[in-house]
Amino acid sequence: MLVVGLGLRPAGAQMLRSEPLVFGDGRATLAGDVSWSFSCSHAPSIDGCGEDLGYFNYGNYETPLLRNFRVNVSASVKAARRISFLTEVRSDNLRRPEPYALYVRVRPWLNRQFDLQAGRIPPTFGAFSRRPYPTDNLLIGMPLAYQYLTSLRPDALPATADELIRMRGRGWLSTYTVGSQTPRAGVPLLNGLSWDAGIQAHAATDWLDAAVSVTNGTLSHPVIREDNAGKQISGRVGITPVTGLIAGASAARGPFAARTATLGAGLPSDDRSVTQTAWGVDIEYSHGYYLLRAETIVSAWHLPTLGTPAISGPLRAVAATLEGRYKLRPGLYAAARVDRLAFNEVIGSSGSETWEAPVTRVEAGVGYLLQRNLLLKLVYQHNDRDGGRVPVVQIGAGQLVYWF
Amino acid sequence: MQPGPRALILLAVGGLTILTGPMHLPGTVARAVAAAPGIIRGRVEIGRPVTTGERRPGVAQLGAPPERNRPDPRQAVVYLQAAPRGAFEQTDAGRAVMDQRNETFVPHVLAITTGTTVDFPNSDRTYHNVFSLSKASKFDLGRYAVGRSKSVRFDRPGIVRVFCDIHSHMNAFILVFSHRYFAMTDAEGRYRIDNVPPGTYQVVAWNEGKTSEPKAVAVPDGGPAELDFFLR
Repeated sequence: MLVVGLGLRPAGAQMLRSEPLVFGDGRATLAGDVSWSFSCSHAPSIDGCGEDLGYFNYGNYETPLLRNFRVNVSASVKAARRISFLTEVRSDNLRRPEPYALYVRVRPWLNRQFDLQAGRIPPTFGAFSRRPYPTDNLLIGMPLAYQYLTSLRPDALPATADELIRMRGRGWLSTYTVGSQTPRAGVPLLNGLSWDAGIQAHAATDWLDAAVSVTNGTLSHPVIREDNAGKQISGRVGITPVTGLIAGASAARGPFAARTATLGAGLPSDDRSVTQTAWGVDIEYSHGYYLLRAETIVSAWHLPTLGTPAISGPLRAVAATLEGRYKLRPGLYAAARVDRLAFNEVIGSSGSETWEAPVTRVEAGVGYLLQRNLLLKLVYQHNDRDGGRVPVVQIGAGQLVYWF
Repeated sequence: MQPGPRALILLAVGGLTILTGPMHLPGTVARAVAAAPGIIRGRVEIGRPVTTGERRPGVAQLGAPPERNRPDPRQAVVYLQAAPRGAFEQTDAGRAVMDQRNETFVPHVLAITTGTTVDFPNSDRTYHNVFSLSKASKFDLGRYAVGRSKSVRFDRPGIVRVFCDIHSHMNAFILVFSHRYFAMTDAEGRYRIDNVPPGTYQVVAWNEGKTSEPKAVAVPDGGPAELDFFLR
């Protein structure tokens, strides 16, 4: 006679905690994710395994996104049936934790998908920002539109087109003569690393959702306390015509320059002529083992005419991103992203030139789930910029992500 | 009747260890072959707070997610740690269903025998992507829409944790046994294992990844044996 003993133990592939912590009979939920990114850059001017001296992957001057240890803790507390408080606190490279999000969510009618949110709220515009990085980012880098630092600054303005052109490819630390004289990092088209403060309304049906928000900052310069001459209005409409297909269109407009810059330019403190206006479309389609995403953002900054050669017309930037993923086998996928960031031309003393250096980025790699909630990504990233001190950088990077 | 040579196979779920070799079992098992089968019944009490399938705080979302079903995390599975030879002589490959409904796997726990094929229909209007990285069965069914179903055949005993790649709060357990002597508890925590040959067995209760210490029970000839569990 044969007998079998089954020593049932937890499945070996999921030993780490994978569920959020729950308190008070479900009224409070705490979740977190930890990611460690490491990288090695190569460029003609870099010996060995160097840093990203081209600053292609910096969220600000201090934070290299591909050499980063990030801890995110998010929490939600249901204060009442209709009211919840949500927050996300983040620390990069063990620096002091900062609230990335902190807002109250109110659902006036329980049986309708209509919510009001107020505080430091998630971005209304675009698609990438609302994907919970790093778990839903297929690769390690971020799309250029959400991260790449242009030379524009909200607290300092170029007096002439020559000043602006001189800063091409130096968004990681740019200086202008109007406003703040301290060298600081410029801004991306849409800051995916920092959220704005304001109020937001969102309504949804099975196939349509729409949101509108009024916030203190702008897409490229979100702030907690208002430092400009007015509010930004942004909105997004998304549709899901069939399962697996999501398409959205976004728009935003608001005063961009901080008061220090407008006053330095001799403009009244309530001047609202220095603005950022942006439009965007995004689409996602998935089926079986495929996932495809595309997003385009057009941004226009209107700057004041201060000196000659003048900056005539708005400064435009166009970002286009295409990314895809294919699952090779359980727990293993391959992904790639192609990014292009282009700018319009201004006329300086030496002729016509794009006001910023166009950038092309190709990133490709694999992701492997060591456990259900422990993901290892390995990527290769090629950056090519038409300007700047380090125009081409090749980066090999890895990232280990754990979440619960 | 004298008990003959026995073989004991210890299967550590996840394929960590497989031990085989001749073993001697209590003679009661051997006498049971010709006797009328009995039953093991009782109750499993869960003495610890159990939650499962909680959503992560949707901080990046523009509004509250829709309400969804919540699985009952108190359901337990009771099984014989060792079973008679006849238990492994499967005659039919069974079929079972684990539905995906309102962002929940239904049922949350499924106990099956090896060789069973489980269907995973999608009854939601959103995509789901069932996958498992468990050593007993690794699979990824990809994304598929409402009305469609995909299947997996489970040929190795063990615990299979099932997840959705899109909805991180969706999870379920499939316990794959190489014998048929197991039962799931009802809403009151009661269970009943039928057709157990008389003999002495070690019985284990399982709930949400936790197992009890094995308890010995003597199944009488054609009668019931009572056995309760308390899982901390």
